[in-house]
Parts: sequence; C-alpha cells; structure tokens
Amino acid sequence: MLSRRQFLATSAAAATLVSTRVSAEDIKTLQVFIDGDTNISDWWNNILKPAFEAANPGRTFNVTITRGVADGNGTIAERALAALQAKADPQVDYFEEIEPESVAGSVEAGLWLETSEANVPNLKMINPAAVQTPIRLPYRGSQVLIAYDSAKVANPPKTFADLVAWAKANPGRFTYGRPDKGGSGSNFVIRAIHEGNGKDPSLFTKDNFEPAKAEEMLQKGWAILKDLHPFTFGEGTYPAGNSPALQLLAQGAVDMIPAWSDMALQAINNGTLPETVKVVQLQDLALCGGFAYSAIPSNATDLEGALALANFMLSPETQTSCVRDIGGFPGISWDNLPADLKAEYIDVIPVSIPTFPSGDWQKAKNDGWYKNVATNIVRD
Amino acid sequence: MSDVAKSSGGAAPGYALRTGLGPQALAGLALVALPVGLLVTLTLWPTVRMVGATFSVDGHLSAERYFAFFNDVYTMANLRYTLEMGLVSAIAALAVSFGIALYLRFSAGRIATMIHGLSLFPLFVPSIIISYALVRFLGPNGLFQLMLEQVGFTQYRTPYLTPVGPFLAFVWENLPLPVLVLSAGLSQVSDHAVEAARDLGAKSPRILWEILLPQMRRSLLIAFALIFMGIIGAFTVPYMLGPPAPEMMSVFMQRTLGNLQDPASAQVQAVVLMVISSIVGGFYIATMVKSSAGAR
Repeated sequence: MLSRRQFLATSAAAATLVSTRVSAEDIKTLQVFIDGDTNISDWWNNILKPAFEAANPGRTFNVTITRGVADGNGTIAERALAALQAKADPQVDYFEEIEPESVAGSVEAGLWLETSEANVPNLKMINPAAVQTPIRLPYRGSQVLIAYDSAKVANPPKTFADLVAWAKANPGRFTYGRPDKGGSGSNFVIRAIHEGNGKDPSLFTKDNFEPAKAEEMLQKGWAILKDLHPFTFGEGTYPAGNSPALQLLAQGAVDMIPAWSDMALQAINNGTLPETVKVVQLQDLALCGGFAYSAIPSNATDLEGALALANFMLSPETQTSCVRDIGGFPGISWDNLPADLKAEYIDVIPVSIPTFPSGDWQKAKNDGWYKNVATNIVRD
Repeated sequence: MSDVAKSSGGAAPGYALRTGLGPQALAGLALVALPVGLLVTLTLWPTVRMVGATFSVDGHLSAERYFAFFNDVYTMANLRYTLEMGLVSAIAALAVSFGIALYLRFSAGRIATMIHGLSLFPLFVPSIIISYALVRFLGPNGLFQLMLEQVGFTQYRTPYLTPVGPFLAFVWENLPLPVLVLSAGLSQVSDHAVEAARDLGAKSPRILWEILLPQMRRSLLIAFALIFMGIIGAFTVPYMLGPPAPEMMSVFMQRTLGNLQDPASAQVQAVVLMVISSIVGGFYIATMVKSSAGAR
C-alpha cells in the first residue's frame, strides 16, 4: 500500500506532467533562423530565449542555425519566397540577420513585412544612423575599433595621424589583418584610404567606381600604408584574419591592432585577451562599421509573435544585453540605455559610422593592397 | 574510356567473345567501370571544359588570358614562390626522411620501432592542426621562444607569417610518405652488396654513394614527385602560416575566385598549376612504368 507521502509525491508528479503537456500545447513556438557566428546563436539560445519566454508568457522560439549551410539564411529566404508563391507554410517566422535585397525577386514579390512604430513600438527609440528601409529591422551593430594594451600604451591614439606616429615610434608593435581575410584589417585599410582622400567617405559610392579614377584615389591610401609597412609586426607580415590578429595581441607580440568591437569586447570579458586591453575609437573619423538587420517574412504563420519578438529585441533590456554579453553596439540610441552603461562605453560610442561601398571598390581595394602594400615587388 | 565503361557495364557477351574477353576479364572491367566513370564525369570532363574555356575570350579563340598571366609581375612572383617552396620543402623532406629510412634499415629494436612510429605520426594529423600547433609553438612568445630565452638566447625571430613557417610545416607534414617509400626501396638493397663493399674496404659515404643511392633512384624520384605535387597544391598551411605576399598559387587562386570574383583568371592559374603538376606526374608515371617493366 502507498503511504500518504508517496501518494502525494506521485500525484504531484502526475499533475506536473499533465499540466506541462497542456501548456506545451498552448505555447506558440516561433522559428528563428541564424547564420551568424557562434557568439550570436549562443546569445540567442542561452540568454535571449529565457528572457523572451519570461517577457512573453505562452511564447517561445526555436533557433535553427544555418551557418555554413548552402547560402545560410539566403537559402531559407528563397524557400520562404517559393512558399509565398505556392501559398504554403514558409516554416520561418524571423530571420536574425539577412540582406533582403540580396534574395532575388523577394522584395518585388512582397516577401518582407514592413515595420514601423505602429507594429513595433520600440522602433521609436531606434538609432537614426541605423535606419535604412522599412523591411530592414536594425537591432545590433559592430564597428572596427583600435584595441591596445593599456599596460604598454599610455596615450592611446585619438586620430589616424596619432596612430601612425605611435606605430613609427614603436616599430613592430602594431599590425592589422589582411584586408580580404577579415573586416578588421579591411576597415583599417579603408580608414587609410579615407585618410588619403580628405577623410571624406562620401567620395566612395556604389555607383561611382571608375578604374582610372579609383586607382588614383586608392594610391593615396597605398602611400600611407606603404609608409607604415616597415613599422608593422615582422615588417609587413600581416596576420591572415580577425582572430589571428587578436591572437598576436593576446600573446603580447603586438600592443595595438584594429579589431571588431564585438570580438574585442567579448574576448576581454571572457579572458581571452588580458584585462589590460582597452578599446578606443578614432575621433577625427571613425573606422567603418555597420548594423545587422533582421527581417520578418510577410507570410509567417505567427506574424503577431514575430512582431512581439522584434519589439523584445529592441527593448532597452535586450539592447543592454547586446552590449554586455556580445560586445555589440545597440540598435537603439544610447540615450535609451542605462546611464552607467553609456558612461562605461563612452570611448567607443561612435560619433559616426562610416561605410565603404561593396562590389568593385572592395575588389580594387583588396587586390590593390596585395599588389601595392604587401609586396616588396618593384612595380613599373 | 567511356566506351570501356559502356561495354563492360552493358554485358555484351557477343562482343566479349569476338575480342576474346573471358568472363573474368569482363568482371574486372565491371569492377573498374565505376571509378573510371566517376573519374571521367567528375574530373576529366570538367577539366577539359575548363581548359577550353580559358582559351575563349568573348567567343573567340585566344591565348590572351595566358599572356596576361605570364606578363603580370605579381602573378609570376607567386608562381615562382610556389615552385621554389615545393622544390626546397620536398628536397628537405626527402633528405630528412632518407636519413630516417637509412637508420631504420640498419637498426632494429625498441628505439627504431619508436622512431618509425614517430615518423609516421604526421600521417594522422590534419594540416589545420599542424598549422595551429606551429603557430602556438613557433609563434611570437610561443613555447620555442620561451625555451630559448630560458637558455639566454633572446634574438629569436618567429618564422610565423614568413616563408620559413610553411616550409617547416611542409617538411614535417611530408615525412611519413617518403619514409614508407624509401624504407621499401632500401629493403630491396641486399645485405650482401653492402657487406661485400664493406669487405673491400668501402667507408660508409662510399657505400651510400655507390651502392645505396643508385639503387634508390627510382624510390627517390617517386617520393619527390608525390611530395612536390602535394606541396604546390597545398592550401591550409600557406594560408595560415605564410606571408601575405608572395602568395602560394592555391591561396592566390582562392582569393582570385572568392574575393576578387574573377573565375576566368582563377581558371588560368589552375590550368598553369595543373600543367606543372602533370609534368611532374608524368615523371612519376614514367618511373613507375619503368620499374614495373624492370620487375618483369
């Protein structure tokens, strides 16, 4: 015979089982697709998911990682587009990051839901610099910064000229990654090109590439970088990517590198970089950066839930977590975030976020760097 | 070759009878039909098409792309660097492995077994692991530098991101294969020949030069061809350990295709590298044919 205690315990367990089963049927699960790095998918799964469930009872989301599979989220968007045309279930409610315009025909077909303050109230706090089109939902950003070891560098550079002067005074203690192997080196090279062209990013647009003119403009950047070349680590051995550059800094082989804000801040937080490493943004003209844009397919089965998720992503709490946990920049203006957070990151808050056009300009920049800066071949 | 595949797969007994092919021969052909068919459809045919495409400029037959390749200073520097790296690393790997093979040929016991095992160890380590290990070991402030500093040597300059980096990785990575090939070759040199030479008063260098090396020529050529072709096509090691410029052809090719999105130039680079590889491969096949003919 069961004792009273056993009976109570058993029936309680049975009741729990029943109740979870019932509520599991009630919970609506959103399908979120992520093709970003592990830091992003981990953040969504481990930190955002419980927070979202707490803030939105009866809702949860399931993260599917498409990193490295075919064209990542682009492929899922193509499937959603086909589903739109076939009036079928797209099996996706939310794209963590995607460039809607790059999915051929999707914008014309009306695949993407337009967002505004009317359906995502928190958009009223958005950083104006991040806003592009109504189908692109900016929510986090990153920018290239100068990371340095404060134990070795007393006065971090405030301008590009300062940085060059420091590198020359400390031969072999500065380096940057090869521009085609990662954004940190790439955006440093772009910053040098900006420096050589009157610090005016607006001179470079997607449609104004013209080989002869471009060559002339890029040469001004190459002159600066060639001048810097013999003073970099190993006299011009440039590491092959974002992580190899950070590794040189971590090993104490160099004291200063350009680095992505999120990678550097996260590496400092988890101890991969020594605590003495600090980051700073150049004040005369910042290094390039950009925002990550989410998008919601208009044929999502749970549009209401997707919009709730969008609003949750732009809440000050989530945005604070974006800064604290993944070292990202907030999508909403800093004024909407806690004052102490702003004070802590004052050195890296960008005054502006310059950009550089993709396509021909990028190719000319990368190939030009190899042929003019990285080599010691005499060009005729 | 596709005809072979068809007739063998199609089981045409009349055809087999007329040409005198017995059921056994047919079964043999059936066995090779699949690999040969795959080779033709997945490798040879795309290769032929690609080579054809490199000679077509706006629909005309033209060697323009090749002129561009051979007239570009930067590209030629990359090609020269690739060949030099292949040559120097392959010779160094051969020299080291010949030493190991010699030792193994004339010694026995636990230490020899251990050295044999160690020399084969790189066979089981992927290039990416070797590359990371070398970055940590030989890199700036890495273990090697720290050890040198312990004994007072402070002038260490890391080979990481210089041509010496990939060179060291290539030598290490390419030890097992020549050790196996050369050990096999050395085992065919009879003890009697060596003892006879020794009885006549020959010193070790002379035995090496006049008895061992002449008999090892084929094994050495085979091992060299295999290593050399592997090195000039290697990607991971030069990508991770090498200098930004000059680039090895595989890294250069990947950048041309992936970053510069210029498949036409990347194809020309691939064809040039393939031609060089096939010349070396030709030596390899000629040596193999000669040795099997000699065996008969």
